[in-house]
Amino acid sequence: MLEIKNLHVRIEEDGTEIIRGLNLSVKAGEVAAIMGPNGSGKSTLSYVLSGKEDYEITEGSITYNGQDLLDMDVSERAAAGVFLAFQYPVEIPGVPTMTFLKEAMNAQRKQRGEDELTTPDFIKKVRAAAADLKIDFNMLKRPVNVGFSGGEKKRAEILQMSLLQPQLCVLDETDSGLDIDALKVVSDGVNLLRSPDRAVIVITHYQRLLEHIVPDTVHVLSKGQIIKSGDKSLALELEEKGYAELIDAAA
Amino acid sequence: MTVHTPRILTDAETSLIEAFAAADLPGSDAVATARNAAIDALETLGLPTRRIEAFHYTDLRALLGTGRTVSQRPSAQAALERTDSYQRLVNAIRLPIMDGHYFADIADDLPDGISVMPSFAAGGFGKCENTAANAVEVINTAFVTDGVSIDVEAGTQIVTPIGLANTFAGATGGMAVTRNTMKVGEGAEIGVIDRYVGPDETDYLSSNIMDLELCDGANVSYVLSIEDGDAAQRLARLNVRLGKETKLNLFILNVGGRLVRQEINFDVWGEGCSLNISGVNLIGGDAHIDVTSQITHHVAGTNATETFRNVATGRGKGVFQGQINVRQAAQLTDARMACNTLLLSDDCDFSAKPELEIFADDVQCAHGATVTDLEESYMFYLMARGISETRARRLLIKGFVAEIVEELEDEVLVEALEDRIEAWMEKHV
Repeated sequence: MLEIKNLHVRIEEDGTEIIRGLNLSVKAGEVAAIMGPNGSGKSTLSYVLSGKEDYEITEGSITYNGQDLLDMDVSERAAAGVFLAFQYPVEIPGVPTMTFLKEAMNAQRKQRGEDELTTPDFIKKVRAAAADLKIDFNMLKRPVNVGFSGGEKKRAEILQMSLLQPQLCVLDETDSGLDIDALKVVSDGVNLLRSPDRAVIVITHYQRLLEHIVPDTVHVLSKGQIIKSGDKSLALELEEKGYAELIDAAA
Repeated sequence: MTVHTPRILTDAETSLIEAFAAADLPGSDAVATARNAAIDALETLGLPTRRIEAFHYTDLRALLGTGRTVSQRPSAQAALERTDSYQRLVNAIRLPIMDGHYFADIADDLPDGISVMPSFAAGGFGKCENTAANAVEVINTAFVTDGVSIDVEAGTQIVTPIGLANTFAGATGGMAVTRNTMKVGEGAEIGVIDRYVGPDETDYLSSNIMDLELCDGANVSYVLSIEDGDAAQRLARLNVRLGKETKLNLFILNVGGRLVRQEINFDVWGEGCSLNISGVNLIGGDAHIDVTSQITHHVAGTNATETFRNVATGRGKGVFQGQINVRQAAQLTDARMACNTLLLSDDCDFSAKPELEIFADDVQCAHGATVTDLEESYMFYLMARGISETRARRLLIKGFVAEIVEELEDEVLVEALEDRIEAWMEKHV
């Protein structure tokens, strides 16, 4: 589903190279965890996948379902099924959450050539998804993420994900700022979305999240490269030994 | 001895003077005298230059169009057809004013407590100060053809607002010039929808002055919705005199016009008066939209808030001048003014100028202005959910102005105004 080859990325503004020859392949149905220390390029990778403008791709390619992902703008990627769950979801005053959700769902339907959702169908879908994630429906009457707690924001991200039913989900440190109960709710939400035709990339510092969302593959990112790949046992190994030892061994 | 060289008239001035000579205008001898004095002043002093402070950002000499003729009264048949096809903003007691002429015979029935007369029948207008800075009133005085004089009896409470349905469908170059007065009696409660609608691509001049008086304890919600066509020019003024314990909520929507000079003047004469002014100015294409406001607090213990949200794009130019005067007697005045603007293109601009003149020592006056583009992180977030760039921009713009519109309590009205805003965005964003 996703094929990243020899990817080099630098920050447009100051030219700092963040991703330095990254290779990664994720198959449909796979849950891939990407772990790495601070500054290894994890968040940059998630932004590059979603198409944020502040980065310059100097080399390499990203192929998504046979299409050149780098050729598509942010909204085209999303409408084609790429979803980024933000590490820091943005608060947007003045834009009601329900309006936003409807607009997003209809944008995707339009891309697929389907009719717009009727209001009752839309509300039904949102109510059901909100109940699964223990989100108070009244919260969704507020502007996007405004006045939401850290945990509520993360749950709202997963709500959007379950409504948009993406093919490739990228979770950028979804565990940060979550208490144990919220972590469980969010993880359950993600697990519900696991399916043979959907891939999930879980970006995290810690092994803790991977106890809830059990990955098929684990990749260690350091200085903009994948230095080691393995199965879920690699995450446990990292937890035990820390990143330093592994990075030293790779150097 | 001083020798004055005759001033060379600008094209716009010449056009107005010629239109005046050709027009057959109504009124008594006193009205005719006032008209002649106004047109003489226009000839000698001319339209205001940018050296006149109040017109520093709006150069009428350069902007005002030519080829003017006073528009004729439409035929009864044409008026009837226009009324039938008129799209209401909200349900209102409609007073049709077409190409500057009031049609009493097809106006809606008036409820008890409200009387409406054509403004010429109701008597004269105030004395016009013939100076260049007073150009809006000078031009209006010279050309005023009709208008309504509305009287709301003390204690009247009407749920359905009065709708001043000003439409233009006349020829290019037309002038629709009206003068209205409205007196809201003691303790009366009423709404007004003062609306100006016209077709795109027709260059016409619409001029209106409304003198609104709120007697003690009156409570008025006033919506001024300027939806003129994209080639229209508007020179207008709203004068409001506020008595004791009065409450006025004024909302202004600017979504039309190639040139708009809208002056709003408030004289707060009664203690305990509460004045709330808000507005949304959408400035696209080649539009030049100027809202110039003046609030004078004459007595103690009054408050006023003024909030404008502006969106400029294309080659649009926007102006907001907000003057607050606090007279020496007006202790404990609480006045707040905010002007927030989104600039969406490289070629648009917006000028915001606050002016405070305070002679009392125990008052609170605040003003603030911001200018920004759409927040990039918001755009990224919306687009990362599949929303196209255009749709994302519209969502954010609507969010920016909706905060102001939604403070109006009437949901039907809010929706109607938001529809107008959507229509503007479809065209300009």
